[in-house]
Amino acid sequence: MTPRTRRPALLALVCGALLAALTIGPSASARTTAHATSAAGTPVHGGDLIIARTQDSTSMDATSVFDNESIWVFEQIMEPLYTVTADGKSVKPWLATGYTLSPDKKTYTFQLRKGVLFHNGKEMTSADVVFSINAARTTKDGWGYIDTAIKSVTAKGKYQVVIKTKFPWAPLLADIALFSNAIVPNNYGGKTKAQFYTAPVGTGPFKWDHWTHGKELKLDRFGKYWQAGKPYLNSVTWTNVPDDNTRELQLKGGQAQVDEFPGWSQVAPLKATSGITMTLFPSTRTDYVLFNEHIKPLQDVHVRRAISYAIDRKALVKAILFGNGTPANSFMPPQVPYYNPKSPGLQYDMTKAKAEMAKSSVPKGFKLTFEAIGGQLDSETIAQVVQAAVKPLGITVNIIKKDANAAQADWSAARYPGMTTSYWTMDIADPDELVSFSVDPSQGAHSFQTWYNNPVAIKAARAAERAFEPAKRQALYNTVQSVAAQDAFMGFLYYSPFRYAYTSKLQGFQVYPTGNYHLEDAWLQK
Amino acid sequence: MDRLAYVLRRLAQLVPVVFGVTFVTFLLVHLLPGDPAVSVLGVHATPQLVAQLHHKWGLDRSLPEQYWLFLERVAHGNLGDSLLYRVPVRSLVVDRAPVTLLLLLYSTVLAVIIAIPLALIAARRKDGTADQVVRAIPVVGLGMPAFWVGLMLITLLAADVVKWFPVGGYGNGFTGHLDSMFLPALTVAIGTAPLLIRSLRASLLSVLESDYITTARAKGLPERRVLLRHALRNAIMPMITVLGINLGFLIGATVVIEKVFALPGVGALIFDGILQRDFEVVQGVTLLLAGLVVLVNIVIDVSYSLLDPRVRYD
Amino acid sequence: MAAVSASAPGVPEVPASEIARRRTFRNRWYRTPSFVVGATIVILLILAAIAAPLITRYDPNGQDLLHAYSHPSGAHWLGTDQLGRDVFTRLVFAGRSDLLIGFVAVLCPFCLGTLLGSLAGFYGGFVDTIVMRLVDVVVAFPFLVLVIALVFVLGPGAESIIIAITAVGWVSYARIVRGEILVQKRLDYVLAARAAGLSDARIIGRHLLPNVITQAVVFSMSDIVLSILAIVTLGYLGLGLPPPTADWGSMASDGESLITTQWQLTTFPGLAVVLTGLGLSLLGDGLADLLAPE
Repeated sequence: MTPRTRRPALLALVCGALLAALTIGPSASARTTAHATSAAGTPVHGGDLIIARTQDSTSMDATSVFDNESIWVFEQIMEPLYTVTADGKSVKPWLATGYTLSPDKKTYTFQLRKGVLFHNGKEMTSADVVFSINAARTTKDGWGYIDTAIKSVTAKGKYQVVIKTKFPWAPLLADIALFSNAIVPNNYGGKTKAQFYTAPVGTGPFKWDHWTHGKELKLDRFGKYWQAGKPYLNSVTWTNVPDDNTRELQLKGGQAQVDEFPGWSQVAPLKATSGITMTLFPSTRTDYVLFNEHIKPLQDVHVRRAISYAIDRKALVKAILFGNGTPANSFMPPQVPYYNPKSPGLQYDMTKAKAEMAKSSVPKGFKLTFEAIGGQLDSETIAQVVQAAVKPLGITVNIIKKDANAAQADWSAARYPGMTTSYWTMDIADPDELVSFSVDPSQGAHSFQTWYNNPVAIKAARAAERAFEPAKRQALYNTVQSVAAQDAFMGFLYYSPFRYAYTSKLQGFQVYPTGNYHLEDAWLQK
Repeated sequence: MDRLAYVLRRLAQLVPVVFGVTFVTFLLVHLLPGDPAVSVLGVHATPQLVAQLHHKWGLDRSLPEQYWLFLERVAHGNLGDSLLYRVPVRSLVVDRAPVTLLLLLYSTVLAVIIAIPLALIAARRKDGTADQVVRAIPVVGLGMPAFWVGLMLITLLAADVVKWFPVGGYGNGFTGHLDSMFLPALTVAIGTAPLLIRSLRASLLSVLESDYITTARAKGLPERRVLLRHALRNAIMPMITVLGINLGFLIGATVVIEKVFALPGVGALIFDGILQRDFEVVQGVTLLLAGLVVLVNIVIDVSYSLLDPRVRYD
Repeated sequence: MAAVSASAPGVPEVPASEIARRRTFRNRWYRTPSFVVGATIVILLILAAIAAPLITRYDPNGQDLLHAYSHPSGAHWLGTDQLGRDVFTRLVFAGRSDLLIGFVAVLCPFCLGTLLGSLAGFYGGFVDTIVMRLVDVVVAFPFLVLVIALVFVLGPGAESIIIAITAVGWVSYARIVRGEILVQKRLDYVLAARAAGLSDARIIGRHLLPNVITQAVVFSMSDIVLSILAIVTLGYLGLGLPPPTADWGSMASDGESLITTQWQLTTFPGLAVVLTGLGLSLLGDGLADLLAPE
């Protein structure tokens, strides 16, 4: 009962506590961070990973399959000589250790890695490589076309393979790194091609377990993988959960460890959820609107420029991606080698849009049909935004909606009745595939099915295929990008990341700009 | 003898019906705009690659020729190979059929469990408050979109409020299946129970007015016995007929449920098949489903006639 | 329901039971709760749909990208959708599309099914066999599969949806009408009409149908619910009406992937469908009660 003596003691206590908090606090958090790094840093073996994805794979036949859900799975089973680097901009040795190039740039001699075993226990040799690449390039109804520059593939001793090209071909290494050129056992180990791919054998970190169509696909750890110590996981299972909400709830409930492609609106809430890591991996995905130049007046460059100027890309990013993306300035994405950050892709400017219309062949406006892809909210949203955006220009847009297959068939025959939406993701770490697809009307895709025809762009694109010096290629691709941007042959909309949500216990999970991932690097904390 | 002839006649009618179904399916599927090659190739669908695939699949032959080949195959029990998955349609169906069958069976059981007590209450207290309530509430269930009901159930019972059930998926092992399938079955049951309740209530009402019920009551039998052993047994057939008639409708309705709950069933198979223009899958699976529906309805018709000797075989 | 005909002497007019039935309808309708409640709901919905521009403030297709996905507030009672459009306005205007399509999508099967069912029931024999086999084929199809395939073939849009639902939905009406006619055609008044030499068309059209149609009408009430549901499901599966037309199905399915964050986008269209279904079902039940023979 002596208040006056108590007060100083109280004061001392409070000061002491404050002092303690100020000193211990920061170092405590420093300790926690240090603790976290060390906890994250050392991979542990074990654990079964379940990846919930949007749809099932179709087939494991690496030479003739085009859907990502198949590709990203069999890339864990079968591997190529070279592979794409993590930044997506070049390739690095993988099953090969290096190569030499002849002075005429038409003969490549690859050194193979020694001691690499297939899942069946046999060692990989040049015979397997020769067989695999020849099988890939003769697949006419598949990826054979990517190897058209190759003249011959022969073995030179047990650990060397010689590839000759018909002409100097800069993208060859990138082509060799494509999953269709993955190495499988010679003669499919005695099976037929179809039989082999029902349970493929490769050199990859994971080997075949089983596939119950529609339900799940499971791979098991390959103990004798050539990267010693890896993989860390015991198994990986891909399940099929088409509904966004169900996938998210499965992740939260622990039924799955990875949620592939959560809805854009779920990104922010998932980032705020403890125990879950929500990552936006840089990707090569670019979204476009296409102008069919068979349909008047879309062959008029001023009309295309006017429409392109009228689209508010920032608003689209907000409305569709919930802010998780950037407006595009080139038909090439930033993650691709020779992308030009200064490419003059048209951005939102209504004044310029009106000026272009005034210069065009239809200054008073016209009627236009936009084919939206049913079942894809993005496509329908873009159609409606464009419809509203070009109204002030006197352009009346009528939206027709078709299901994905019908719309795709229309696109592939270039008979979509005006405008439509589309997108691209890179398969190889070289702009060539995309560039010749986009600006060359003589190629199968007829300039992305727009029939855009500008000889300047075509010439630069073809020259870049044969040029080997990076500076020269950069200059040529800069030309292509700026001509394409000024001609507005497509409206470049936005770049968007690959989004994955997964348990915070998962470490070493990285998605490359081409969309694939190396699961031999992934591990689960206990 | 009459009955046997009736059954045989109905079975014989199976053939033209199923044939009609295959014909209509073949026609529809080939009239669909679009192209299965595009499903495989996506943005790589150049004319050359498309032509390659068409040739591989025999789609460059004339339509009558393709139909003839299809019939020939079916006659040998071969349902063809999926264009997209490159495996026999038969194996895809075999993998997925148990899922859809379990869903249909489970949901029917649940719907009946819901319907019988409610219909009994409503019939006992005709025009009373209980009756009005029973007739109104399930109607709400009829109007709710299935995907919405499914998502609500997941949120309430599997994810947010309580976690009594797994979130979607099919589960492993028999108990795992029952556990995972409860919510989807309930979702379907919420949509079918109203129809069953209405039908059962109506037939109960007419049965309860009949003579033998009055007799049974006059004899002093307890009301529960009267209801359950006499009234219900005689009133149940129309409800089962309703079930049978709705089977075709149900099978289609499972599509949405399978999507929401990530169930690898036949509904999703056939829907995806249509979306992707996988002709073989659509033709093969529709054939099977049609055969199933027709068979089930024949069974119901026959058992109707077995249970009620007053039915005439016209 | 007025189908009295006294065009030929000796032909009895409407049977006494039918007259009695109609009299009780007039007396009883206001005392049947389900009928009253159902009719009220339905009438209110129809009025709201007709008066849509009067009770809403915004343009149903008016975009406002800067205010997309806003939650319910004073300015927007039910919030805004992915393009910043007012959800309440779209909800009411969607009622127009859905109620109209739902109604037409039932009227057509009703007419087609009644026609085929009457012919099958009245003539029997070969006609009956053909119609019933057609019924079997249609019924054997997984319903949604047939509708989806037809919509694909015809291209998405309101007309295709109506044609598809008609092609599948006529079956129930045919069965009901055929069943009723099989019973009615043995009754006295029909036999008398035939004896009097009236043409088949007249007998079917003016004598049989009016007495037989009540069952079909009752069924059509719940059928409208089912067809609106089918349209909603088609919307979920990506086959609804082309944008930017508002309809409850597309609204609900557009918002479906956002259920955890923007629940109002799916819930309110869902509730609108439920309310419509409730009204129509109650109306149907009430009608069934009132029109059922005593």
